[in-house]
Amino acid sequence: MPQNQRYSLADDVCADVAASPETEKNTKAALGRRDFLKYFSAGVALASSSCVRRPAEHAIPYVDQPVDQVPGVATYYATTCSGCASGCGINVKTRAGRPVKIEGNPDHRSTGGALCPLGQAALQGLYHPERRPQPLVRRGDQLGEVSWDDVYLHLSSRLNTNKVGIFTGGTTGHRAEFLQEFLQKLGAPRENLYRYEPNLLYAHVADAHQRAFGRYVIPRCDFTAAELIVGIGSDFLDQGLARVAYAKNFSAARDLNREHPAQLVQLESTLSLTGARADERIVIAPGTEIDVALALAQALYRQPQAQGGVAERQKIAALLQQHQVALAPDLQQHIATLAVQLVQKPSVVLCGGSHTFDANAAALQQIAIAINILCGAYENALSVQRGWQIPPVGSDDLQRFSRDVAQLDVLFVIDSDPLFTLPAAFGWAEKIKNVKHVISMQAFPVATDSLATHVLPVHHFLEAWGDAQTHAGQWTTQQPVVRPLTDSRQAEDVLLWLLATVKKPLPYADYRSYLRQRWQAWHDLQGDGKDFAKFYHTTLTRGTFTHQKQQARRELRAFEVKVQQVPAGLKLTAPLDNRLHDGRGAHLPVLQEVGDSLTTIAWDTWVALSIKTAARLGLRRNDVLQLKTASGVLRAALFPLPGLHDDAVVVPRGNGHRHGFSKVTDGIGVDPLVVCAVAEGLPLTAALPVTLTRTGKTYRLAAMQKENKLGDRGDIVKSLSLAQLRQHQNKVRDLDAVPDLYPKLEEGEHRWGLSVDLHKCIGCSACMVACAQENNVPQVGRSQVAMGREMHWIRLDRYFSGDADKPRVTMQPMMCQQCNHAPCEAVCPVYATTHDAEGINAMTYNRCVGTRYCANACPYKVRRFNWWTHKWNVIDAKDYNRNPRALNPDVTVRTRGVMEKCNFCYQRIRDGKHQAKMAGRAVQDGEIKTACQETCPADAITFGNLLDAGSKITQQRRDYRAYLALGGYPDIKEYGLKTLPNVSYLAEVTLQEEGSDEHG
Amino acid sequence: MSTAEAGWKRTISDVNDGILVNTRRPHPAFYVALFLAAACLVLGAVLWVVQITLGMGMAGLNSPVYWGVYITNFVFWVGIGHAGTLISAILFLFRAKWRNSVNRSAEAMTIFAVMSAGLFPLIHVGRVWLAAYWMLPLPNTNNLWINFRSPLIWDVFAISTYLIVSLLFWYMGMVPDLASLRDRCRGFKRLVYGVMSFGWRGTARQWHHYETGYAFLAALATPLVLSVHSVVSWDFAMSIQPGWHTTIFPPYFVAGAILSGCAMVYTLLVPVRWMFNLQEFIRESHLDALLKLTLLTSTIVFYAYAVEFFIAWYSGNIYEQEIFAKRLSGPYAFYFWVMVFCNCLFPLAFWARRARAHVPTAFVICLLVNVGMWFERYNIIVSSLVEDFVPGSWGHYEPSWTEMIITLGSFGWFFFWFLIFCRYFPIVSLSELKLIMPPPLRGKSGGGSG
Repeated sequence: MPQNQRYSLADDVCADVAASPETEKNTKAALGRRDFLKYFSAGVALASSSCVRRPAEHAIPYVDQPVDQVPGVATYYATTCSGCASGCGINVKTRAGRPVKIEGNPDHRSTGGALCPLGQAALQGLYHPERRPQPLVRRGDQLGEVSWDDVYLHLSSRLNTNKVGIFTGGTTGHRAEFLQEFLQKLGAPRENLYRYEPNLLYAHVADAHQRAFGRYVIPRCDFTAAELIVGIGSDFLDQGLARVAYAKNFSAARDLNREHPAQLVQLESTLSLTGARADERIVIAPGTEIDVALALAQALYRQPQAQGGVAERQKIAALLQQHQVALAPDLQQHIATLAVQLVQKPSVVLCGGSHTFDANAAALQQIAIAINILCGAYENALSVQRGWQIPPVGSDDLQRFSRDVAQLDVLFVIDSDPLFTLPAAFGWAEKIKNVKHVISMQAFPVATDSLATHVLPVHHFLEAWGDAQTHAGQWTTQQPVVRPLTDSRQAEDVLLWLLATVKKPLPYADYRSYLRQRWQAWHDLQGDGKDFAKFYHTTLTRGTFTHQKQQARRELRAFEVKVQQVPAGLKLTAPLDNRLHDGRGAHLPVLQEVGDSLTTIAWDTWVALSIKTAARLGLRRNDVLQLKTASGVLRAALFPLPGLHDDAVVVPRGNGHRHGFSKVTDGIGVDPLVVCAVAEGLPLTAALPVTLTRTGKTYRLAAMQKENKLGDRGDIVKSLSLAQLRQHQNKVRDLDAVPDLYPKLEEGEHRWGLSVDLHKCIGCSACMVACAQENNVPQVGRSQVAMGREMHWIRLDRYFSGDADKPRVTMQPMMCQQCNHAPCEAVCPVYATTHDAEGINAMTYNRCVGTRYCANACPYKVRRFNWWTHKWNVIDAKDYNRNPRALNPDVTVRTRGVMEKCNFCYQRIRDGKHQAKMAGRAVQDGEIKTACQETCPADAITFGNLLDAGSKITQQRRDYRAYLALGGYPDIKEYGLKTLPNVSYLAEVTLQEEGSDEHG
Repeated sequence: MSTAEAGWKRTISDVNDGILVNTRRPHPAFYVALFLAAACLVLGAVLWVVQITLGMGMAGLNSPVYWGVYITNFVFWVGIGHAGTLISAILFLFRAKWRNSVNRSAEAMTIFAVMSAGLFPLIHVGRVWLAAYWMLPLPNTNNLWINFRSPLIWDVFAISTYLIVSLLFWYMGMVPDLASLRDRCRGFKRLVYGVMSFGWRGTARQWHHYETGYAFLAALATPLVLSVHSVVSWDFAMSIQPGWHTTIFPPYFVAGAILSGCAMVYTLLVPVRWMFNLQEFIRESHLDALLKLTLLTSTIVFYAYAVEFFIAWYSGNIYEQEIFAKRLSGPYAFYFWVMVFCNCLFPLAFWARRARAHVPTAFVICLLVNVGMWFERYNIIVSSLVEDFVPGSWGHYEPSWTEMIITLGSFGWFFFWFLIFCRYFPIVSLSELKLIMPPPLRGKSGGGSG
């Protein structure tokens, strides 16, 4: 997307031409005789005037055309994603004032244009039909609708107190400062701002650094500086600290053009996406992450080449002496070998993640610091100077909240759902019982609203102002990209107006001018001499700017670590879900529908057990189990998952919202937090002792993939070792050199090709969400997914190979392969699917009669049939009244009885060619990007013109690793099905020397 | 095997009376059967309308099983439709006289079976309102044309040709008989049969033209017996789906079709014979001949199954091998074994004369052959689609209620027409029977054929 097309909302520019939300009049007039007669005659007139032609709709041109709006041409706005706390920069594509697609912002340094599923799906949140249309105030047991004026009036009399607190999620940028200013103005202490992020890793890492170095920092890892990455229960590719940025960076570190592509060794008890991507994965017992970390620290300390200053080493030695661990001999051996490698190579060790939020989670981060000092990571891969600025959520916030809440009169809950995201054992509802006024300010109705006295709908982040600081010095700005779709307000503006009504105003007209002042302050500090107005405008347009700020690392203090022993036996882990996070994405159908990458289950919550444990207990897939912990009981169906430790019981979070949260989540899944515990004020969601009982019932989980193994089908996924690759690296492949009886295809200017690097793909499923958003792919709901009728144009095939205890996991994005000898094209009786001049297997929806022969003929089974008319607003026979404005106007919607499939985002190709033609030049390499490619955080997808010898796609197709799916083994002159796809894959590369089992 | 057997002394008018009994007093069972058939037909029709309105999701189909019961039914009915033409055309050319008693009803069965078969592609497609004419080569201003490379288009031609030729053949053979009926009726019926018999008066000139035309149509229909099911088999064989992509399919399908057709003729004739008291005309020896043909085709089919497995193994293609291994023991193995027992093993009983002569036994076996042949198609279609090349796409299929009821509806549709035929048309060819009547009534040179 060209730079010059983006606009800012600075001052003079009006964003929006979309109609303002209609406010319906409340007419409650009693029906009189005359009215009755009027309606009666109108009814008669209506009934007798049937069979009138549908009135023609005319496109009406603008009278005054806004400067940034050309009908039919998209306008992009740069803003910041607030889906999670990472604060990724995004570009929002709008058409006629309405956002239609979210892309990563390529100018945002750490994410480089990539975006995760949650960010991609935010559009469905914006247009969600269940957003509250107006504020609610509690009257007795009921929440009744009121106007905003009434809210201000009502609250002004209640804010004359200094016993005010704010409970909110973790955000960077100026928001926290603003909220503290608000509290101060009301006379409340600044500490009454309580921040809680369900991803506790931020708090644990920052706290550990606070204790160790006296600075509240989160170091940022640069994987490209490491050759060996060790994860101990880490989930940096699943959630971690900033999943998109880390995935991007990790992918760069694994690039095979580097002399030593970074190797990942993961020690974990559950199977995470990070573990699935690891070159070597060692399964450890749940809850023993701390022991493994200690053992590693000790082994490292014994290494003569271990790093660290004398003082630091002394302190570490003191720490290690306190804790002796006994691990199994083979694990000990593994750790010893790792320690040797860690000191020999540039390396980094990442510990902890949402799979390890147990009683030792904080201690684990401290040991991690010791380990990283010993392997020299702080001088190399870990940067404190440019560390993450991720939310300053402290573990003490929740403790402070528990302590103070009894004294509060007024509690604001802003963009946070503590009732759902804290374990039931935390007793949030109990704790706020005595707070007189609980004001819940949410962009989407949440569980907490049920306890609130006032529920105020606030802007979705795409309608709001704000800013974020991803890592030290890297700022992103947030501006509205659409006029509010409901009668909501910016949360900060509501607070400002409330201050005004209680006569304690802050000197800002609104939050936007507050931010402007703040940005001016940096600008003045930076003193680069440029005009601020210009800076303001360019910053908003670009969406990001860097600011010379560095954090200094200080000397290591002595640190003490308390380690709690975890008893043996089955242990429950409730990690954050890769798509739904803590449940904040659960109301977005597209996220439910893409399914979990590892189990491929959509629309459900499952219990994962290791294959052995399930067999030992005589349990089978879909058996409903009852899980009992000290805190409670839950029931869910079983999914035996390879690669788990035999003691691990994994139930993902995200689903199990209570009835009434959203129609999307009604009856979907269970919430594992009801059985999770709380210790020292912090939620414990891992290594909880649990007992399993069989209920005797079964429940069919909607798993999209039935078969998990490839068997001896070696030409679907290929892999080779690094040594093999190095040996043949300079060989050039010609995948199209297949003996063929047919005449060669005519070659024009373009032949589009796509390549998927299996070595890089991390299985995050962002491509699936991006594709659904771009191509108006409908969501079909649980029952249809269970029948195998999902509509994804790109699916993520996941295969396990090898031992069930130590599986190798392969993720293979599979979309239409655009075969040059397409089996589907020959069999269509009506020419509804044909080959176009540029190599794309085109689908003419209007011509399709639905024989489905093409889908049978397709060996990749990537065609999707519309079994129903997937009305945009009906999922699984439930009416959602969704907003059709969320559809991409460039892509037609399909009716029942019609086949559809990936077409390389044809609309984007057309657009790119058009742009090039207008500019009088050829299409440049990289100019056209498919939706999946654009969002891919791992840079695994490349698209381009195969007839352009210099293009990246041509290079990738000639790479030694390149192969065609089902294309046989060209090395031994076996050419498989000879479908000659334009999609090629790049084989996986095993960086691990030992146990490199061959696939192809 | 002529009708000139010992003790058969009937006049021409006895033949007329005996055979045309159906046009006068139907057995009460007839009305029960007609009602049941009509009820099934209506039920199926209603569900079809619902399916058109709501979408193909009404069926149990999914990805990757895009074809299921509907296509099974299509192939099944086309197969049933084969015996008629085989019996009337090929046996006519080979002068097998036993056909004279069964050819009329076999041909009628063919027509109604093809009519049932023709419905299923329409029931199966996603947008029937367009498919019904977009599949035909109709010139249009958009220059949109059909794809002659697609076996589905060949199907359209093969089936429609077959239906037209069979219809002509059947109707033409019936013209002299309709004239006999006309002569025996009064009033409105006489008028209708009169129009239908095209003014047949039985003159020598008319007989001459009739016989020439009949022989000509028989010759025309003969290759169709082989071609139609070969073309249908190409729907599968032309795709690259493992389990489908084999060259044995055309002969294998034709043999299967004749097997199912003969079994179906037997299954129909036994009750019809009883219902309309035709034992005298459709005799045990005729049925015996039919069962021998069934036995022959059953062994051919048995051989084809074996060769299919051998080739799958011999090909060295793992995709092919795995499909066939799973047929034996995979999730759909039950259907495979139903097919093997019904089509290959039970008909072996027909080697024994006693089994052929015992009507209830033979009837049950023929019924089982029909079941087995239905499952053969189901097995070929579903077990190949469920698990093919890419394991990530594998799936599962169970027919939905809609599919089952529409299938029932197709039986209703078939039997509805067949019963109407039995009620109003001569079930056994009068004219052909009269031609081969014993000498006293026809002169010494009797026993010849037309």
